[in-house]
Amino acid sequence: MNSVFSNKTAIAIFVLPTFLIFSAIVLVPIFVSSYYSLLDWNGIGKGVYVGFHNYAEMFTDSRALHSIRNSLLFAAASIFIQLPISLVLALILASNVKGEGFYRTVYFIPVLISTVVIAQLWSKIYNADYGLLNSLLESVGLSSLVQDWLGQKKTALIASFIPTLWQYIGYHMLLMYAGARSISADIFEVAKIDGASRVRTAFLITIPLMRPILKVCLVFSVIGAFKVFDLIYVLTGGGPFFTTEVPSTLMYTSIFDAFRYGYGSAISVFIIAECLLFTLIINKFFKTE
Amino acid sequence: MKTLLKRTMGIALAVGMAGSIAACSSNSSNESKSNESGSIKLTLWDQSVGNTDPSAKLLPQIIEKWNSEHPDIQIDRTGTTGEQYKTKIKTSIAAGESPDIFYGMGGGSFMEPYIKSGNVLEISSYLSDDVKSRMGPGMAEAIENDGKIYTLPVYTHIANLYVNTELFDKAGAKLPTTYSELLDAIDKLKAAGITPALIGEKDRWPGMYWYDIIAMRQAGNDQVMEAFKDPSKWNSPDFVAAAAKMQDLAKAGAFNSSMFSMSYDEMLGAFNAGSGAMMVQANWVNAGIEDPSSAVKGKVKVIPFPVFEDGKGKGTEIFGGAVDGFYISNNTKHPKETVEFLMYLSEQLGTQGYLAGAGLPSWNIDGLDTSSLSSLDLSSAEIMKTATSFIAWWDNILPADSAESHKNLIALLLAGDITPEEFCKQMAQLKPTELNL
Repeated sequence: MNSVFSNKTAIAIFVLPTFLIFSAIVLVPIFVSSYYSLLDWNGIGKGVYVGFHNYAEMFTDSRALHSIRNSLLFAAASIFIQLPISLVLALILASNVKGEGFYRTVYFIPVLISTVVIAQLWSKIYNADYGLLNSLLESVGLSSLVQDWLGQKKTALIASFIPTLWQYIGYHMLLMYAGARSISADIFEVAKIDGASRVRTAFLITIPLMRPILKVCLVFSVIGAFKVFDLIYVLTGGGPFFTTEVPSTLMYTSIFDAFRYGYGSAISVFIIAECLLFTLIINKFFKTE
Repeated sequence: MKTLLKRTMGIALAVGMAGSIAACSSNSSNESKSNESGSIKLTLWDQSVGNTDPSAKLLPQIIEKWNSEHPDIQIDRTGTTGEQYKTKIKTSIAAGESPDIFYGMGGGSFMEPYIKSGNVLEISSYLSDDVKSRMGPGMAEAIENDGKIYTLPVYTHIANLYVNTELFDKAGAKLPTTYSELLDAIDKLKAAGITPALIGEKDRWPGMYWYDIIAMRQAGNDQVMEAFKDPSKWNSPDFVAAAAKMQDLAKAGAFNSSMFSMSYDEMLGAFNAGSGAMMVQANWVNAGIEDPSSAVKGKVKVIPFPVFEDGKGKGTEIFGGAVDGFYISNNTKHPKETVEFLMYLSEQLGTQGYLAGAGLPSWNIDGLDTSSLSSLDLSSAEIMKTATSFIAWWDNILPADSAESHKNLIALLLAGDITPEEFCKQMAQLKPTELNL
């Protein structure tokens, strides 16, 4: 067995199929998109080479800049709102509460439901005419707060963040819960004998030992925020007036509604670069600390 | 037990893989092919799958009849819903894997790039001589593109004002024929606590219908045509006045406060539930309004959009008239047979669909029994008969990215974020149309 693993040809043969498939469906499209992003092209016929014009346009177009700002805000909301909630839930679940399995399942359900279904669900909650939220506000005497949540600039962005944050809380909770559970019980026993309180144990033992899984969660949630598309697309379509636009919805409308494949490809390349950059930053941050 | 489990899983994986391989291989041979018996298989893609869309019922019947009468030319149909259909057909044409014959979304700027790039078959040499004589008046010219023919007409659609007469009676308002009567009706409807008009502005094109018809009433069709060719003319007093009127209507509370979160489908749902008194839409909404599930069945009238006292446009200048039809791929291996089917399909769907309320006819309908038609369809047809000129959907006339800008600008105008002057200045930045109007 050992001789097989040290044999370079054998390694190459075993790695080759996966590498080929990976290249065909991931690497090649990335390079092809990078090439398209240098063209002024309507998707059919001949494209005109325009160099970095599409990128220059992206960084001067207020609509594109706004969408990038939104995705950064969204990433910040994921880090500072979503992950702390997931962490608290995970720590509570991991501390031997009653009905652990039940709660774990309940919090995970939103992850299992299709995003389009969730978006439809929340668009009915937010609906200005018959929505649950407005009916609730009216029934408790707060009818002054009743408004068109997804239809006006000042509330649309927050209203479209909430479902996405809510949906993936269960996902990160499960990862963190598994991380917390895998810490050896001996350590907790020692802490208990020494008289450490639960909160102290959580901050000084559980969380520091969960560092690897926290890093994974951080990477997933930041990348997820940069890539978010389906929920925003169904909920608001990037509207009203682009207030909820993120790079991926802008990419879609550029390509499929405005027939601008080159510009859309430039945005997609930007999304990939953004994700890679932030993954590197997070990895570096966790290494130096 | 363990070995059994392993073996079952192995088989399951193998079956799954075989399935995906089969799926891949059947995909790649999706194009027309002749099998041993010499019969031809043609693929057809369309977007008629909606519940209340009469074409969704008619298409399978027409194809079945064709297939049984033509054992040597068999049609294989795939239906996909609207927005997804657009994406699907764009992708497949760009990849050179388009079906033999496909629905072309009202022609215009949607089809123009494909025609220009040679992806669509020029069919005039295959058409039989009598086919033009069976079309409705003006249709033979309407389908010509630069002197060439790529499609045959199926239905025509025109946009008008849909009014809920029950709500108008309740508010004591008169059906508007002029702009001041429209403002008056809006005041009365509002006073009675009724939403005067509905717009599903989340999808942006329903608001565009309002502005476009207002601009046509204000400036007249001739000026609009000029501006399509020379965009700098969008920045002229008449279009500023039209934008100002649109904004005045919004400020007067004519539209539902939830318009920016309401989609087109939700707008139809709300109108059919009687939640709004007016809507500017085309006759594809007729079937839904007259559906037994609709709360406003029999209470809705369709009238020409009001004329303006200070406007240059007349009530007989019609918004719409776009000719929807099917197109043939240049990659098809059987152009002659496909055109033969195209002629059959277009005429059958055009006439039977008209009788079923799917759209206004593009074919000669003399001698057809129209007693089955709803009053909405008949009044739409009456309005179309009065037409002196047509301008089709502006987002089909403008090039695709300019059409997007046009719709976005109208949304900003509705929200009061830009002034009418600013609106027209930005309209003047659009690209000229690529079509030969």
